[in-house]
Amino acid sequence: MSPSAPAGDPFDALGDPNRRAIVELLGGGGRSVSDLADALPISRPAVSRHLRLLKQAGLVLEEPHGTRRIYQLHDQGVAAVQAYLTAVWGDAVGRFTLLAENTTPAEPP
Amino acid sequence: MIEPLRLTYQLRCPADHAFEVWTTRIGAWWPKGHSASGDPGTVVVLETRLGGRIFERATDGAEIDWGVVTQWSPPRRLGYTWHIGRDPMQATEVELTFVDLGEGRSRLDIVQTGWERLGADGPMWREANHGGWAALVPSFRAAATIPLAD
Repeated sequence: MSPSAPAGDPFDALGDPNRRAIVELLGGGGRSVSDLADALPISRPAVSRHLRLLKQAGLVLEEPHGTRRIYQLHDQGVAAVQAYLTAVWGDAVGRFTLLAENTTPAEPP
Repeated sequence: MIEPLRLTYQLRCPADHAFEVWTTRIGAWWPKGHSASGDPGTVVVLETRLGGRIFERATDGAEIDWGVVTQWSPPRRLGYTWHIGRDPMQATEVELTFVDLGEGRSRLDIVQTGWERLGADGPMWREANHGGWAALVPSFRAAATIPLAD
């Protein structure tokens, strides 16, 4: 993971093919770490690391089921993506506002 | 259909001026680094007419299309397609409305629609198949000129 990546950025979370594969698998329903590891060419500790990052990004939820922990997609995942886009727009609009509010309209000829 | 992204901003300037700055001075305020090329010397150009291109021009002169103006009603409304160097078939649509509130104030409403067009898996969105959207997110990233600069 890049140290400059902001924690909880859903786009960074999905920038990794293994994490995208996990999200796609969870699209078919909740699974445990071992279920996921069995379906992927990576180890259980690696799956756990990826899940932690997906959780931080608000894309995945963890629920205890007896002694097992089941991971599933967060219904608000799309909302998280939209929140991120809102932040991006805010960055652009913030600069726009600064310029618009601190310049004067051209004088009519 | 995927819910449009709706944003509203209050501005301390008249709407006419806001429209002018948005359209003719986009090269001055568009955040550096929010470009397809990543070239810090990129210039952003918006051709102020219906059918006009929105594009970036890198320092080597190479141009990358971002979209096309689809609504041109100065100084109140502007619409354009938005794909930022990706397949135009995957363009989202942005509509900007500048509302004058008098006393030197205005409001900017932004509505971005057409998310379902992002990627061949679009219909999966509508069916709320959560597995489908993961494949689309990289397109969002490009479509929204991510990464965040600064």
